[in-house]
Amino acid sequence: MTARVASLLLLACSLVTPVSAQGYRLRVDSRIRSVAFRGVTPDSVPAADVVVSSTGGFETADGFAVRCRPGEAFCHYHRPGGERRGGPFVTTASLSMWGLGVAGLSARGTARVGLDVGDADVWPGTDPALQLVEGFIEYASERLTAEAGRTQVTSRLGYTGLDGAKLTFRPTPETVSAMLYGGWGLARGVALPVTSPALDPLDDFQPRDRQLIFGGTLAATFDPIRVRALYQREVDPRSDNFVSERVGIDLAVRPIRGFSFAGGADYDLAAGWLGSAEAALTFAEPRERVTVTGGVRRYRPHFDLWTIWGAFSPVPYRAGFGVLALQPHDRVRLRARGEVFEFDAAEAATPLATAERSGWRWSVGGAFVPHEQLAVDLDYHAAFGPGASSLGFEGRATWRPVQTLDLTAMVASLLRPLEFRFSESNVLLLGLDARYQLYDRVAVSFGLQHYDEERDRPDAAAFQWNQLRVTGGIRFGFGSGADSGRLPPAILRIPTRGGGQ
Amino acid sequence: MKPRLATPAVMTAATLTLAIVGVRAAPGLRQPSVAAAADTAFSHPEHARLFPTCVTCHEGAAVSGAELWPAPESCAACHDGTIEQTVTWTRPTAVPVTNLRFDHTNHRAVLAREEKPPAACIDCHTEAGEPWMSVHRTVRPQCLECHEIRTAHLEAPDATCATCHVPLAKAAGLPVERVRAFEAPPSHDMPDFTARGGHGLLAYGPAGVATERQVAASCATCHARDFCIQCHVDAPEQPAIQALEPDERSLVHSAALARPSSHEQPTFWETHRETVRSTPAECRTCHTQESCLTCHVVTPRAVAGMHPAGSGRGRGAQVVRKPPPTHRVDFRERHGNVAAARPETCAACHAREDCLDCHRPQAAAGGGAEYHPATFLARHPAAAYAQANTCSDCHNTQVFCASCHAQAGLVADEPLRSGFHDAKRAFIAGHGQAARQSLESCVSCHAERDCLSCHSAVRGRRFSPHGPGFDAERLRRRAPSMCAVCHGTNIPGGS
Repeated sequence: MTARVASLLLLACSLVTPVSAQGYRLRVDSRIRSVAFRGVTPDSVPAADVVVSSTGGFETADGFAVRCRPGEAFCHYHRPGGERRGGPFVTTASLSMWGLGVAGLSARGTARVGLDVGDADVWPGTDPALQLVEGFIEYASERLTAEAGRTQVTSRLGYTGLDGAKLTFRPTPETVSAMLYGGWGLARGVALPVTSPALDPLDDFQPRDRQLIFGGTLAATFDPIRVRALYQREVDPRSDNFVSERVGIDLAVRPIRGFSFAGGADYDLAAGWLGSAEAALTFAEPRERVTVTGGVRRYRPHFDLWTIWGAFSPVPYRAGFGVLALQPHDRVRLRARGEVFEFDAAEAATPLATAERSGWRWSVGGAFVPHEQLAVDLDYHAAFGPGASSLGFEGRATWRPVQTLDLTAMVASLLRPLEFRFSESNVLLLGLDARYQLYDRVAVSFGLQHYDEERDRPDAAAFQWNQLRVTGGIRFGFGSGADSGRLPPAILRIPTRGGGQ
Repeated sequence: MKPRLATPAVMTAATLTLAIVGVRAAPGLRQPSVAAAADTAFSHPEHARLFPTCVTCHEGAAVSGAELWPAPESCAACHDGTIEQTVTWTRPTAVPVTNLRFDHTNHRAVLAREEKPPAACIDCHTEAGEPWMSVHRTVRPQCLECHEIRTAHLEAPDATCATCHVPLAKAAGLPVERVRAFEAPPSHDMPDFTARGGHGLLAYGPAGVATERQVAASCATCHARDFCIQCHVDAPEQPAIQALEPDERSLVHSAALARPSSHEQPTFWETHRETVRSTPAECRTCHTQESCLTCHVVTPRAVAGMHPAGSGRGRGAQVVRKPPPTHRVDFRERHGNVAAARPETCAACHAREDCLDCHRPQAAAGGGAEYHPATFLARHPAAAYAQANTCSDCHNTQVFCASCHAQAGLVADEPLRSGFHDAKRAFIAGHGQAARQSLESCVSCHAERDCLSCHSAVRGRRFSPHGPGFDAERLRRRAPSMCAVCHGTNIPGGS
């Protein structure tokens, strides 16, 4: 009921006429999908009923491989699960208003209403039905920007949400700025407080109070150097325990023409270790016919201290990578990317079971624009290493017969052998996607994707499964401004990573 | 006997005669009244032996108030049907259609005022060495010669154009075809003519005075304000353009904005902000405020200073929004550092909604919203295991991963059972390495209780989960409640 009311409110908002002398921009994006997936179902069989398979292991009488613990009466295994169907129907409305009587004062908000109209509530992100992604009042002048409400802080520590205030001060607008923020934090990666019942379906130690978040950044621009340092801490007000305490730095430098450097690092003060870090040097030939990037990076996942995972000592991996982009012709772009990585010693290997510690991944691809109305993009990628590997290709051709219509055909394949489970997933995808600018500020989209998936195993748990996914959407843009529509096509044409995504 | 060509009267008459004939003979020129009045064109050479002077017929060229054209009766004196066939001739009444400011009476008066000898007709209407009554409309070099303009016609200095020509807008009767036929002077072929230092300098003259509402006569002769507005966004602010009168005929000469060489510099995109601030007037010449807002989603001060599109201004440069050079192949994956170091740069072209498209994608977005490719759902286990993507940058692994995995039967139930990781015979006994390497993958299916069944010091089997880098004292100080989960009240090192 709440969701329906919210939907009506959003619709009403979309029909509001702005008051004279005010400005607004409203974007309403509504989409629905028909999705399905098929997992596994845990099962067990009395240990006395298992038989020895032809490969020497144990299996059920009907051929499912089982694991039997010594001394236990039952052996366990997983059968192919049932087909689960979902129909997420989500509407997002983003509204900005200005001209509120004070120069520089504006109000912004992004809210989302999500329903699963399928058989069951199976698709993530639709619970709770109404979510406020952002909603704040902003005052902006040349030297000061202040936000109050539900806002976001974007940094290398994540896209952090909070209910509170954010103050940015620019004593010298072109060179130095400082930001302070604080309030009640939202959980990482989601617009929900950490206390939300929807947040934690598994854990037993969910906080009963929202964490308090405080932080600050100091940024300086002295061309060609741009640097920003940040500090952030989250505290559980009930216990005064830290939820996190981290510092970080980001750096971007363009030392000489054609070269650019970008890098950063963060340090976990609470855990006492270096988190993630990266550095990349790029050379772009003046006409951008050749672009080369080389770099190193390190990644260690971060876990809040209200969970126990940080105490399990996640180890980082270190990687070196290179990217080469060529444009031999105005209508042809080629790209190649490679990365080798190795995990730090986990100090937990046993002779009974070891995992791979290093791996590599690469991809090659290209984009071809034979004429203004047609663009073709192909990509082949491969990854080998701990946990899982993958091989596959993706191709898409977008045809724009008229300026308002985009038709895209896509094909993709994937071979995904796993290291820890007998399961080689072979997927073939065929898809069609259409986007049509119905009116100046109304765009509709429709997509159709056929998945042909085969789970290859040496036992009866192998199965073949095909499915059809349907997507539909409509987007309204109101008000004024260059971004009233969706992301500009030029931005969307930025090539995706060369594999491994 | 040869006629005495040197007498002033003869010269004046000849001048006038030649002027009339020349006007009729000039390409593109039409004198409807003359054409309608005469059934045949008058041939001066055929009458050369009849008229020793020009003013016999064209008295008005020499005498103020007299008729410039001969009376029809004077033609009929010979063309009476007996001596010669009759002709129909009436004096033209229309003012000649021309952009010349020449008038015989004035011209003669000026010469007299300046105490210069009057010009003979043949000085302007007959080329040197031609026989008597070889009449042309105007022999331009002779005009230039008398006026001491020692150049070709179209290379004449700016200030001298007005000597003979009126501005285009003043030549109201000049038809569009005549305007289209104007020849471009050599100055227009200069490499940087379209740049500010090119035609702009010419328009304002050598002094470059921009405060006075004046424009070089050389421009006004062929152009009017409408012509300039084809390009100039700042037309209302340019005195030289405003000094021109509007005239749509000037649009027969089309002009288009040319991309200046500065825009071809590899670093132009990165440095154009400084350019706008240092020389805003140059940018305002070609760019409207709307032009900037094609890319800029906010209105920086520099953009606010640009002229908004409107009547009286040029349409301006049409900007196509495209990714800047920094947005290279893997920019999506690497934009974090750059965006964090100076987010203001991103905010110039991106609204917050753009970020939310990826960082807060909506659940029904197809193909993994705007970020992941369409096949990513099938590929994500491999990417997550190998951490090619840093999933937690955008996803909350507990709610996002685990909730979906629970639906797929992948989440471990209480008590922890074997059977899923069946490719490793002793996976449970040796899962530590895999766990420390890809803990995010583990917690997408396993709850803390699964691990505590073995790793808890209170209710488990006391297997220590702590590995390299673990700083017990530091964590105990900052989050003792986390330690208490496994150690209860007996936290090692605690007081």
